[in-house]
Amino acid sequence: MTTKLHLLLRSASFVQQNLCQPASRKCLHRATQMVRLCSTQAGKVHDTAPAVPVAAAESYAPALLRPLTETVAPSAAAVRQVWVENMDSADERKLGLLELHPEVFAAFPKLHLIHDNVRWQRMYRQVDYAATKTRAEVRGGGRKPHPQKGGGRARAGSIRSPLWKGGGVSHGPRGPKTHFYMLSHSARVGGLCATLSVKLAQNDLHVVRDLELPSADPGRLQELVERRYWGPSVLFVDDTDEMPENLVRAADQVPHYSLLPVYGLNVFTMLKHDTLVLTVAAVERVQERLLRALSIHNSMAVKHTDASLLR
Amino acid sequence: MASRAGQEKALRLLRHLPRVALNNIDHPNPKPASRRKRGAHGGDTHGAGDKGSKARQHFARAGFEGGQTPFYIRIPREDPYKGHHLRREYPPVSLHQLQLMVDTDRVDAGRQIDLTQICNSGLFRLEPLRRQFGFQLTDEGMDEFVTPVNLEVQWASERVIAAVERAGGTITTAFYDMASLQAMVDPERFFKRGVPIPRRALPPQDAVGYYTDPSTRGYLADPEQVARHRLTLAQKYGYELPKVKEGPLTERKDPRQIFFGLEPGWLVNLTDKQVWRVKDPVMSEYFRS
Repeated sequence: MTTKLHLLLRSASFVQQNLCQPASRKCLHRATQMVRLCSTQAGKVHDTAPAVPVAAAESYAPALLRPLTETVAPSAAAVRQVWVENMDSADERKLGLLELHPEVFAAFPKLHLIHDNVRWQRMYRQVDYAATKTRAEVRGGGRKPHPQKGGGRARAGSIRSPLWKGGGVSHGPRGPKTHFYMLSHSARVGGLCATLSVKLAQNDLHVVRDLELPSADPGRLQELVERRYWGPSVLFVDDTDEMPENLVRAADQVPHYSLLPVYGLNVFTMLKHDTLVLTVAAVERVQERLLRALSIHNSMAVKHTDASLLR
Repeated sequence: MASRAGQEKALRLLRHLPRVALNNIDHPNPKPASRRKRGAHGGDTHGAGDKGSKARQHFARAGFEGGQTPFYIRIPREDPYKGHHLRREYPPVSLHQLQLMVDTDRVDAGRQIDLTQICNSGLFRLEPLRRQFGFQLTDEGMDEFVTPVNLEVQWASERVIAAVERAGGTITTAFYDMASLQAMVDPERFFKRGVPIPRRALPPQDAVGYYTDPSTRGYLADPEQVARHRLTLAQKYGYELPKVKEGPLTERKDPRQIFFGLEPGWLVNLTDKQVWRVKDPVMSEYFRS
């Protein structure tokens, strides 16, 4: 916990150092903007890439996507903001600011939903193969072993009775048993939103512009991760499943770095990895999908169902 | 659903708590672990209780209530399909469909639109052998019905009658018996049989009231009464009753007639393109009665 606080303070001071002026934020009521900070820096940041004009920066600014329904826009206080970081060097550079929808990234941390999702992900594929034989199935035991009376022994009808050694099991596990079940749609969606909110709240969620690395050296990647105090295990999430080659080669060498496309995002994997690193495109996609999923059952508001969007 | 302030507080708390991971989440209301029916605490009666048919695996038959009259005997029977094979059916044709047919020339609005015309359009099919005794006119599209037509259907509600008359048309409800229906549904096939045109029967007892009632425009009703009811209906629904001129809109069949221009008893020869009349006076009298 102290480490956590310590880290928080360090990151806070780091931010302090790198900002000459506070970032000029546009009105929060509008769609999100990406603000270039390079112009406000005082030589601390090494901008190797050519200066990108503001118009181009805004071109990859994702809109604060509204869900399918016409809902009230989130209050300014609830909207979350994250830095968009770079991946092309170990030194951290802040490339802009991204606004996140609070319904997805600042939802109440419902731990019971998180638990339900983790349990579901574990149990739905679980198969118990334990199987025992009953007294009828155990080989033999059809004949009465000895007469009813006169032996001084306990009466017996079969050598495979559950009382006997080698006999059948009376209330044992019966054959392969699956524990498949489907968690409700709302529980799954709620779990995803809760996990993302938890990750963001605990400073374990980072957004990068893209996952292009300068080289395929796993050491360089590890250095980058360590320099930024990202947890030992990192989950990189992109919106496509075709990731940049350098990242694939580098992460392949390190077992605790995982790559995942957005469609594979799940609660278990997010909790298993300490840090979540998403690209801007991935954040856009996740937000769009989850906001839609949250409002899909709101029949009062959904006037027309577009079948293609339901995919 | 926590309020925004509560949510913010919870998320702020998380900043100071250990990282949420797979090894430190718990459920506030966990399901109790299942107990096995073996071993020290599961043995003895193995979950079957004491004695009784359940413990001895000799259960009573399903529905048995210990001797009390069971529910499935106590409640009286109600046959939902009783006599369904005897009930007449009237497949629906909506006013919207009718307007569409008229507009697209599937049906000729210059002549009377009766059962045969609707079947000849190819859009509707009537199966008399399935107890379908004709078409009923439904009110879907009644607000947009504007064409004056001379209609003959087997059943129509008051609103539908009003919609047709408001547009300047006339409507009659008529009954056709099984033999007449067979002839009407596919006239060509009927004529090829070489059988004289049958005399249309009168409606059965339960339908006589409907077809003699001027308010339902029954074909057996008094025409003067029908005219009076037309006026009354216009007043009830508040529209101006258009004047209907003598002509295609007022042509009616005789109660015993099936086809226009053909009387019962006549024989139509399609091969030689001839129509034969009845000469015998007894037969002629029968068919004309």
